[in-house]
Amino acid sequence: MKKNNRAFNDAQKFSLVRREAIYTGLALVGLIIFWFVAGFGTASLDVKIFHLPLWALLGTVGVWFVAIFISAILSRKLFTDMDLEGDDDGK
Amino acid sequence: MESNLRSLILLLPLLAFMGVMVAISIFVRHKQAGKNFVSSYFVGNRELGGFVLAMTTVATYSSVSSFVGGPGMAFQVGFGWIYMAVVQVTAIFLVLGIFGKRVALLARKLNAVTVVDIIRARFQSDFLAAVAAFVIVLFFCGTMTAQFVGGAKLFAAVTGYSYEAGLILFGLTVVIYTSIGGFRAVALTDTCCAIMMMIGIVLLLKYVLQAGGGYENIMTTLETNNPELFEPFSFGNMPWTIYFTQWLLVGICTIALPQSVVRGISYKNTQGLHQAMLIGTVVVGFMNIGINFTGILAHGVLSGAAADYGGVDNIIPTTIVRAMPIELVGLAIIGPLAASISTISGLLIVASSAIIKDVYLHWAEKNNRVVTPARVKFLSMATTAIIGAAVFVIALTPPSLIWLINMFAFGGLETAFFWTLLLGLFWKRANKLGAMLSMTGGTIIYCATQAAGFKIMNLHQITIGITCSLILFLIGSYLGKRSDDETLKIFFP
Repeated sequence: MKKNNRAFNDAQKFSLVRREAIYTGLALVGLIIFWFVAGFGTASLDVKIFHLPLWALLGTVGVWFVAIFISAILSRKLFTDMDLEGDDDGK
Repeated sequence: MESNLRSLILLLPLLAFMGVMVAISIFVRHKQAGKNFVSSYFVGNRELGGFVLAMTTVATYSSVSSFVGGPGMAFQVGFGWIYMAVVQVTAIFLVLGIFGKRVALLARKLNAVTVVDIIRARFQSDFLAAVAAFVIVLFFCGTMTAQFVGGAKLFAAVTGYSYEAGLILFGLTVVIYTSIGGFRAVALTDTCCAIMMMIGIVLLLKYVLQAGGGYENIMTTLETNNPELFEPFSFGNMPWTIYFTQWLLVGICTIALPQSVVRGISYKNTQGLHQAMLIGTVVVGFMNIGINFTGILAHGVLSGAAADYGGVDNIIPTTIVRAMPIELVGLAIIGPLAASISTISGLLIVASSAIIKDVYLHWAEKNNRVVTPARVKFLSMATTAIIGAAVFVIALTPPSLIWLINMFAFGGLETAFFWTLLLGLFWKRANKLGAMLSMTGGTIIYCATQAAGFKIMNLHQITIGITCSLILFLIGSYLGKRSDDETLKIFFP
């Protein structure tokens, strides 16, 4: 998580949140590409690990690990902590 | 073993679990006495921490079909099914990453308690809010019925008790604890449910491996006897269209499901949200891969084809009975039943909020009617109980094709809410006309194509629904009037 700066105003918070949403969208695109290549892309290879064809391993457990990695990068590196109360809440 | 003793051993863990669920809800109600009722009952006062937020989002999202129908299909289709099901690992980080903070910030600005509150404020339309509330209640009732039926069928198949007995045991329990405890109880019980689902998967996997003579043995036999399981298209059993539509139906579009988005209103701080993204993704992947892989390995326990056991839905129940020792069967079925009740509770509380908060309280406020706190409390709990009871009654004589209703409802909710929420919250130009056309038109087109059985390129109707609702949204947004500056100042400061 980035610096714990609680002094953002509403406009700054909303633009940070918009950027975070875009990062999340890009992460999705990346994961879809990985999913496609890891599974269909390797389906023709005749490699087996633990009795599993390579595509079945990469396309399932591999995708899961990549998704965990993506979530970690998003939530720990790219997302910013902020106070959720706004400038003029409750008015 | 004596049959009475057998029944007792089977039922004890279940009864204990259901008892704990009700106890949690009574405890929650007791602790929240004196706080703002509407906020505590419908979003738990925005107090959820990261772990509970992750668990309740996953548990509401993972339904009984992920635990019964899904692995049954994996048994039949093979690794292609897991490859397809694993797209669900995106669901948690997407909904929390895209909507989590936006919704939390807005809810605090607007004093919003429901997703419909936010939609009403964004588009300044009571009509749209009413349509949204109606869509929620309608489709949620369908989904809840499917959960009731799925859970009760599993219960009957595994324990030998009647379908009705199962429905009464867990169905009434979930209605009672949701009505009493509200959202906070839903979140806490969901957490217990998610933990029991994972324990159930691990237990079942262990005994399936044991009964099948070990991993090596099962896999070597499968390689010889069932080569189709090792091919992504499963020799034609898994066409590419399924992969494509599943990405939309249970992956990308799930971010707009109101029962998921409302969780963005419910957490305490951003640290919790960040934790939940990670924990949720770990858990949802573990469950998906774990249970579906178990479905494939069940070949080591069941030597025939799915049809020999009465279809794919019977694979998991039969496997539980055959592979597990009797004293653990009761524990093992808590997993799938937990998946069922945690989905029902999450939907039930949102459906109830749609009626009480979005329709009734809003109407009262507009007409300057004073509603006493005691009355709000009574009506909220009564409404939750009544919706639950109504669905319970429908589930007693279940309509056929119940499994289709589940996916139908999923697609309907996504068609109605996807663009309205995504564009509404992130695009300034989005306006009332666009949202109105998109939600009503898209949903009607989706339902009509479902009813007519009309498909394009054999793809699930979600593709038509989501495309039409986008087109309608854009048309409306460019033709209609811009939202007023005051609204835009709140949503895009």
